[in-house]
Amino acid sequence: MTWIRRAVELLAPALLILGTALLALEVSSYLQAYFLDTLVKVAIVVALYVFIGNSGVLSFGHVSFVAVGAWTAGVLTVPEDQKRITMPGLAHFLLTTSVGNVASLVLAALVGGIFAFAVGLPLMRLSGLAAGIATFGVLEITNNVLTYEQRIGPGLNAFSSVPSTTGIWQAAIGGLVCVVVAYAYQRTRFSRMLRATREDPAAAAAAGISIYRQRLLAFTLSGALAGFAGGLYVHLQPLQAGSLSLDLTFVTLAMLVVGGSGSLLGAVVGALALNGIFSFFSAATNTVDVLGWSFTVPSGTAELTLGMLMAIVLILRPNGLTGGRELSLPRRRSVADLEKARATT
Amino acid sequence: MTLAFLNLTWPTFANGLALGGVYALMAVGIGLVFGVLRLVNFAYGQLIMAGAFALAFGSQWGFPNWASILFCFGVVLGLSVLMDWLVFRPLRTHSPAVMLVATFAVAFLLQNIALLAFGPLGKSAGALAILNAPWDIGGVFIKKIAVISFATAVGCLVILQLLLTRTPLGLHMRAAAMDFRTARLLGVRANWVISGAVIVSGLFAAVSAVMLSVQELTVVPTFGTQDTILVLAGVVLGGLNRPIPATLGGFSIGFANGILGGVLPSNQSQYLPSFLFAAVIVVLLVRPNGLFARGGGTVERV
Amino acid sequence: MTALTVEKLSIRYGAVEAVRGLSLEVKPGEIVGLIGPNGAGKSSTLHAIMGAAPVTGGDVRLDGTSLVGRRPEDVARRGIALVPEGRRIFGELTVDENLRLGLAGRRRGRNGGGLTRAFDLFPILREFRSRQAGVLSGGQQQQLAIGRALVADPDVLLLDEPSLGLAPKIVDVVFEALTQIRDSGLGVLLVEQRAQRTVALADRSHVLANGELRLTLGPEDASDTDRLVAAYLA
Repeated sequence: MTWIRRAVELLAPALLILGTALLALEVSSYLQAYFLDTLVKVAIVVALYVFIGNSGVLSFGHVSFVAVGAWTAGVLTVPEDQKRITMPGLAHFLLTTSVGNVASLVLAALVGGIFAFAVGLPLMRLSGLAAGIATFGVLEITNNVLTYEQRIGPGLNAFSSVPSTTGIWQAAIGGLVCVVVAYAYQRTRFSRMLRATREDPAAAAAAGISIYRQRLLAFTLSGALAGFAGGLYVHLQPLQAGSLSLDLTFVTLAMLVVGGSGSLLGAVVGALALNGIFSFFSAATNTVDVLGWSFTVPSGTAELTLGMLMAIVLILRPNGLTGGRELSLPRRRSVADLEKARATT
Repeated sequence: MTLAFLNLTWPTFANGLALGGVYALMAVGIGLVFGVLRLVNFAYGQLIMAGAFALAFGSQWGFPNWASILFCFGVVLGLSVLMDWLVFRPLRTHSPAVMLVATFAVAFLLQNIALLAFGPLGKSAGALAILNAPWDIGGVFIKKIAVISFATAVGCLVILQLLLTRTPLGLHMRAAAMDFRTARLLGVRANWVISGAVIVSGLFAAVSAVMLSVQELTVVPTFGTQDTILVLAGVVLGGLNRPIPATLGGFSIGFANGILGGVLPSNQSQYLPSFLFAAVIVVLLVRPNGLFARGGGTVERV
Repeated sequence: MTALTVEKLSIRYGAVEAVRGLSLEVKPGEIVGLIGPNGAGKSSTLHAIMGAAPVTGGDVRLDGTSLVGRRPEDVARRGIALVPEGRRIFGELTVDENLRLGLAGRRRGRNGGGLTRAFDLFPILREFRSRQAGVLSGGQQQQLAIGRALVADPDVLLLDEPSLGLAPKIVDVVFEALTQIRDSGLGVLLVEQRAQRTVALADRSHVLANGELRLTLGPEDASDTDRLVAAYLA
């Protein structure tokens, strides 16, 4: 029966993504943009989850991998004649190289992964607040360089003329790819070892698990997924360095924590729920109709609502909406067993 | 008298000291709250932002400067206490990660409230602009605000040191930072100690808001955010749980920020944040427990 | 005068019932021992009295006023002082500062206690008052922990295994101090592993096992090893 349970663990998040995509088919093209944005956010949050959820260590640096992926996919897909106009400062090699949509996404993942590996190599030796601040530093440095370095991108400007290939199917398949990779990783012994270090670092180390190597592996994989998600993102809308910084870091972390950082389902639910609410209020700045009742809210309401929701969920349900559990068939475990389990802790 | 070394001039040096002083105050403000609550308050920068807005509004409404400053202190203290009651205390028993993300949420919330209320362009901060005028000190022209900032910071830190070492409340705060549980069993009142830390931390945020906004033309909703991230880095660099190392860490990064901002040519100074954070990361790799920490230090898993 | 009364006290951590229906009383000027094997619920009882462990049933009263549900600092400020297990002195503070921390538990309007009380009982503390507490020996730290509890001028003193890890000679010093503390009129509740010495010293000793009161012994039973062993094995 275990295979059914496992299948459900993968199916629940996958179906949520497919459902969102199908719903997106039914709405106006104006609202569709919000659905696509949500699917890309799911991809980013799942990427975050692969590291944070499995290791239990917070990272503030993942948006830099998203940004690097976006830069890679963006720079490599803008048509050459456009590049000469919008990004004249680009390095010669980048100016003359162009690749297709799929290749750009693969390269985005590759560059994200390599960058994460390079950063993780020294940083995964750190723990606690030092690690948190160091990943923050990575975010700041990446953002700073991308903002001013015109040899590798548009600098302060937003990308323009990136082919908008992230439609419903690319967004949905992209999200699914992230979920499947996260699930597949979760089933490996590497993930189990990393989770063991999360529960009890000393015992895990005593059992011969290298915390450093396991964290580095998850960090690299998660960086690759983040880069991939960045590629999806840049094919969706004109991005600029400023939009791939603190705010996105906060919003995606919020989604993960609110959903429940301990489970894949939590990551997906958090991203869908928060981005759904966020999108609703963003759309409401230009008037929305709800069951015949139309209303408009001032801009900024979306961010405000998100911040408040986040604080409330954290105070009331610090383990997130899903409590860190995967959706699974009810196990045959009596209340008495649970009591016993709790008693031993 | 000259100080010609890598473009370093006395005024730049003075600016470095001044920024170092303000960052040191912010570092202590963050460190005090961490000591009693084991919580890294990421929203500290938004307290400073609120104070800077209060100051700007004060001058817009025609308050005399002393009243604007008083208003700034009132707003920042009120907000600190509110934050403590609504967010910190309910979350006291949760994991450091949850608390950190929660303060992240508060920061995001406050920043967006400011954005909604005051717009992205903010307000002009002309209240104390007169302090940007220089003083002639032995032929060297140094901005008044640089002298005042540094002197105020040193004054505040000396007063804090006296509070911590000479008063019962200070003793209780230090004990609570070391072992809260035992301190309570001895009769140290948790609420007083936490309130004490939050209030001193808020006072320092208000002082920092005044000092930082003098040198800015406008106050925007992101005011103080970048400074806070740098200070956090400095605090972790110094050693979070110890007042003096935290102060030194904050001072170092502020001093470096001020000096480098002055000596680097503009095509390099745009990469200043990168230089600072790269330096922070390198130091953390060499001394993970902090530059000035003795032995173990605190290892909070976040 | 003030007496500490524990009545049908129950303590539960999650599903584990640490103490069931424990009753005892500590009157001024007496030492009450609480002995028993590891995990019997001795420390839990002390923590419950201090308001630092979850009380699920029964009552703890000081002079008729219930203490259940109060915060640890409020219990301390009502005249109950705890010498915690492992001493828990603040190693980075000086001896003097550690003692002044004890003043946090002194009740409003009281002028008794104070640092001199600790210094009179343990002169070594006066000699070392400006040293860092962390550099003191184990025995000196235990004296500091007891002194720190006494400066608050409490009515009741709770001690959690004060002899733990101390050389026999130092244990003599500590137990001698307890006699003096009792003679000054305090009620003392002493949790100990050294059963025989405790029974000999205390006015009454309760044997706790598995969270329940098994037996109460008087000083005359100290030499009755069989009864003691039987109580532990019961």
